[in-house]
Amino acid sequence: MKNVKRIFIYVFLSLAAIVSIFPFLWMLVSITNKSVDVTQGRLLPGTHLIENMKTLFSTIDIVPALINSTIIAVITTVLTLLLASLAGYGFEIHRSRGKDIIFNILLLSMMIPFAAIMVPLYRMFGSISDTAPLIGIDSLGAVILPTATTAFFIFFFRQNTKMFPKDLVEAGRIDGLSELGVFFRIYMPTMKTTYAAAAIISFMNSWNNYLWPLVILQSPEKRTIPLLISNLGSSYSPDYGVIMSAIVIATLPTALVFFLMQKHFVAGMMGSVKG
Amino acid sequence: MKKFYLMLLLVVGMVVLAACSSGDEETSEGSGSEGSSSVDTITAWAWDPAFNIAALENAKEAYNGDGEYEVEVIENAQDDIIQKLNTGLSSGTTNGMPNIVLIEDYRAQSFLQAYPDAFHPLTDVINSDDFAEYKIATTSFEGEQYGLPFDSGVAALYVRTDYLEEAGYTVEDVTNITWDEYIEIGKDVKEATGKNMLTLDPNDLAQVRMMIQTNGSWYVDEDGSTPNLAGNESLEKAFETYKKMMDADIAKIVSDWSQFVGAFNSGDVASVPTGNWITPSVKQAADQSGNWAVVPMPRLDMEGAVNSSNLGGSSWYVLNVDGKEQAADFMLNTFGSNPDLYQTLVEDIGALGTYSPAAEGDAYAVEDEFFGGQQLLTDLSTWTDEIPAVNYGLHTYAIEDILVTGMQDYLNGAELTTVLEGVQGQAEAQLK
Repeated sequence: MKNVKRIFIYVFLSLAAIVSIFPFLWMLVSITNKSVDVTQGRLLPGTHLIENMKTLFSTIDIVPALINSTIIAVITTVLTLLLASLAGYGFEIHRSRGKDIIFNILLLSMMIPFAAIMVPLYRMFGSISDTAPLIGIDSLGAVILPTATTAFFIFFFRQNTKMFPKDLVEAGRIDGLSELGVFFRIYMPTMKTTYAAAAIISFMNSWNNYLWPLVILQSPEKRTIPLLISNLGSSYSPDYGVIMSAIVIATLPTALVFFLMQKHFVAGMMGSVKG
Repeated sequence: MKKFYLMLLLVVGMVVLAACSSGDEETSEGSGSEGSSSVDTITAWAWDPAFNIAALENAKEAYNGDGEYEVEVIENAQDDIIQKLNTGLSSGTTNGMPNIVLIEDYRAQSFLQAYPDAFHPLTDVINSDDFAEYKIATTSFEGEQYGLPFDSGVAALYVRTDYLEEAGYTVEDVTNITWDEYIEIGKDVKEATGKNMLTLDPNDLAQVRMMIQTNGSWYVDEDGSTPNLAGNESLEKAFETYKKMMDADIAKIVSDWSQFVGAFNSGDVASVPTGNWITPSVKQAADQSGNWAVVPMPRLDMEGAVNSSNLGGSSWYVLNVDGKEQAADFMLNTFGSNPDLYQTLVEDIGALGTYSPAAEGDAYAVEDEFFGGQQLLTDLSTWTDEIPAVNYGLHTYAIEDILVTGMQDYLNGAELTTVLEGVQGQAEAQLK
């Protein structure tokens, strides 16, 4: 009886695995096929890989787009980690009368969809474009700023800080560390897993962010990877082999970041549940 | 505590609303800049590198005016252009907006109406008599010509001659027919070859749109905004025809573009009724060369319907921002008055314009081996001139979203008049 149950579980899990892995498999197979084979649903690897890569790198500016995406994702992640952890730390460790009200307002802001604030945001950036071109329309700065930290990450850090031993803060203070000293020398090293988890989420969000970069970036040389891929599919007769190749390349960095930090990520997520 | 949260929610809600409304308010003020400062570089947004972008690059080469400025061509996906234009124009800042933009004809009226001062009229710049009549209706607004008509979306029936032959038909048998005749032929083809006659996508009623335009009808009335669904005889006929196709089991169901292209590339269907811009995709399957022909679109079996229709197609618009004079100058000296440019367009990229003087050129007369030596471009141009002009109005895609569910109800057995009255009610409520 136990064995039957086991077999059933394995069959179910295998099916689920196939369903979730199939799109990836198809993507990987498709980069080796001609566009016409892709539309015909060919599932076997072909011989067109090198041609697809050649077309991709010779006709499409994928390298600048990768560089732009990397710059934006790295800066956003660093800013997010720093700002959100400072805020989360402050909310949890320090006592203040109004902090719960402010925190609740922050949480409520998570419920406003981005599309609702996009037009006013665009207007704001439009009005500073002439005085501060570095963060105006069509600048990487304008992509980074609105997502530099979000209520979600502050919430994430606050929840995780709940399991941070407060005695350590006291001990640090007694030993003569400043408040920032406590934060950087004690809090940060202790909370490594939380930082890793937040880093992955933030990096992926930023890397995959589509709507805001789309409206705020105008010149082709400033495009990020998702915008570039969206363009590739816009043609009346798209080259699916090349599109798939671009998507594979675009997926690699997030996959890399995830696998590098996987161990910490899982620990960090567990932590947030426990907290 | 509950009260507190309610208050909080209220405050946040008000802030959001205020933010939205202030964005709208400024639209007219910001975008209506009347200054005429010239610029060194004008930008143009379009989609599809093989088609529209290539056309712009050709236009840069062909420019024969004396303006001194650079033209920067920027490629964006069509949906992306719509998103960017809507955000930019409704925020009221002209910062980052292009000088020239390509807009699909179905969407043109809604842009012209929503942002009345954002576009620069071309009434005095181009001669609208030079262009196909049906394009003028969709590119002008309140008596002003705003768009420069570009590609023809003339629809045609692409047929597999080898499959037809197998079923005992010739190309003549499918030329200038009605949809009902088409379905009968489709049944025979399916019986003889086992292949479906066409593809249908339940989420995209392009088929219905093409059918009703053969009879000069559309989803909306002449005014462009009142839904014209219940009691619209052409639409009723189109719905009935669509159902007949499903009942006759001659349609392969597809759910997206790649399946649609895949179906005829892999030889699964015997015909493709669609816009002429599909030609490059059909030719993609080089092994099918010589097995295709293109014939006029079937018409609805009604008095007054013609064997010509349209699907898609788009036009150029000049935005009312700095550099609009140069942008208008560029448009005039390229797409607006240069027949030679249109010759290169058909030769190099197969883009069929709607500039009538161009159709006489040699490039249009070329015989296409893929289509058995047919003078495809000449044929398509002839059919372009016969497309019934309709006002696409403001809500083509909004109404189509409603119609898609109506169509499903009808296919599932609901009464046609009830269905159309239902969608009419929905459309009226939604589009007020």
